[in-house]
Amino acid sequence: MAFEMKPLEPKGSAPRISDKDFEQLRDYIYNVCGIYFHSSKKYFLESRLARRMESTGSRSHAEYYQYVRGGATGATELKKLLDEITTNETCFFRNPPQLTALENKFLPEIVAAKSKIGFKKLRIWSAGSSSGEEAYTMAMILLEKRNTILKDWIIEIVGTDINETVIAQAKEGIYNSYSVRNTPEFYRKKYFKEEGAGRFVLSPEVKKLATFSQLNLYDDNKMLFMKSFDFIFCANVLIYFDTSSKSKVVQHFYNNLQPYGYFFVGQSESLHGVNDKFKTIHFPGGFTYNK
Amino acid sequence: MDKAAMMQKAQQMVESFDDLPTIPQVATKVIQLLDRPNVELDQVADLILSDQVLAARVIKMVNSPLYRPAHPVQSVKRALIYLGIHHIRELAFSCSFVDVFQGRDAIIDIKSFWEHSFGVGMVAKIIAEKVHYPDSEKAYLVGIVHDIGEVFLSYYRQDDFRAMLKEVEGKPFRLFEKEAEFLGASHADVGLCIARKWNFPADYCEVIALHHSPEEAQLDPTLCAIVNLADLFCSVCNLDYGGHSWVSFSLREEKAWSILKGYAPDLADLDVERFCYELEDRVPEIQDMVKAIFQDTGV
Repeated sequence: MAFEMKPLEPKGSAPRISDKDFEQLRDYIYNVCGIYFHSSKKYFLESRLARRMESTGSRSHAEYYQYVRGGATGATELKKLLDEITTNETCFFRNPPQLTALENKFLPEIVAAKSKIGFKKLRIWSAGSSSGEEAYTMAMILLEKRNTILKDWIIEIVGTDINETVIAQAKEGIYNSYSVRNTPEFYRKKYFKEEGAGRFVLSPEVKKLATFSQLNLYDDNKMLFMKSFDFIFCANVLIYFDTSSKSKVVQHFYNNLQPYGYFFVGQSESLHGVNDKFKTIHFPGGFTYNK
Repeated sequence: MDKAAMMQKAQQMVESFDDLPTIPQVATKVIQLLDRPNVELDQVADLILSDQVLAARVIKMVNSPLYRPAHPVQSVKRALIYLGIHHIRELAFSCSFVDVFQGRDAIIDIKSFWEHSFGVGMVAKIIAEKVHYPDSEKAYLVGIVHDIGEVFLSYYRQDDFRAMLKEVEGKPFRLFEKEAEFLGASHADVGLCIARKWNFPADYCEVIALHHSPEEAQLDPTLCAIVNLADLFCSVCNLDYGGHSWVSFSLREEKAWSILKGYAPDLADLDVERFCYELEDRVPEIQDMVKAIFQDTGV
């Protein structure tokens, strides 16, 4: 599962959310899920809330806030709200600041460190890979370095997801125009074949670099085998876990990361209070974690 | 190059800037007036009012989201009362700066310089409040002036500055570290020479000189550390000179962070991720204010 904000739809009839209600709900979502709603997303949240308020029969934002905080029904409702504000669709080149940071700094650093000891192998994990966009984005970026810093390197990109259907899609490697909307023209021309009707077929060269398999992040036994990664990506997956499950899963990521590796979460996500072993590394437009 | 040689180089550079602007006359007079004991608020207000552009800016800045007055402040006198007499000197400084830098667009454009400067001011104020530093207003104003050296370097040394940016393009770097190599002195050294020339207070001079090395500060290491961190946070929150610098950092490795944790131990519990997200939320405020300052005064 990899999620992102659905595009904003005009919703004239959505009740206006007050600053106070917005802040209350934003803080609640942040405390429970670790995802921060920027003020710029206020009207987006407003329109999504309108649907949930209708379904739950809440007459005001304050009433909905009480509802979503209430016990087991609240927990179920929170998942529905998260589904409403996120979606199963993801896209290539989704987080440009993260990719810039990786290309500018983190990748060259790791390559330099490993080159020194003659260990020319790079392992990358897209945890919650959905239909493969994140894993394949990395594949394309790394392919572009095949003649320079990654000459003669072994590259292994692993995508895992709990959902078999999206895994099958990832293996197939056929996308629509919505998936490639953020893809720079250079990459789109070089690594996709456009087959009319908005069908984009990924080149075999890219597909070859990544493998996909089904994995439940809760599965301790299987998690133990996901070893020695240089980069782990896990965007908008942990937001669905409660704090103790989150801590357990993040501890696995910590153990499975190389000492100099980096762990990336999604835009607006935070690991605060989940794991205090990771160091937070800030860069323009985001942050990442390392040991 | 050793420190003394770099300072000497910076001094020579500042002397060679043949049209280095001076602080506007009114501002100088305000500063002199405020040095006198028993100065009357009315005298200061009258003096500021003698320069309509300055007066308009004072009111605009006091009303900006950064100062958050409960009710709109509409007169210079009320602005002075709201801010307190001690801050007028600093306010006069920063309002005059807008003119001082006018037309000095170069490699770094003035708008992105002001966005960074006001951003650092705002974040410095927020950090100052978090650590219970006694004068958060000062943190704000010193944040605004911390990078004066940068704008002059990018204006008077355009070719070298351009060569430096070209060399580091696509690589992580801190401007501060590269300047010594390419220009012979850093913006902190140059800034200090200008600040002295303009008779800035000693603690302001120290922040300008040491905002990249707060551990060397003698007068007020806490203030230097506050501005250092504010600068770092702005560099990763889209107030980064339009992307001219690419910085990454981990607080655990920053000396400023240790200094501040020594000053306010509960800072260790700060949710740094959320802090960043909240700052990102405030970036449009800064950009709007900079736009407003430039638009409405016809500068």
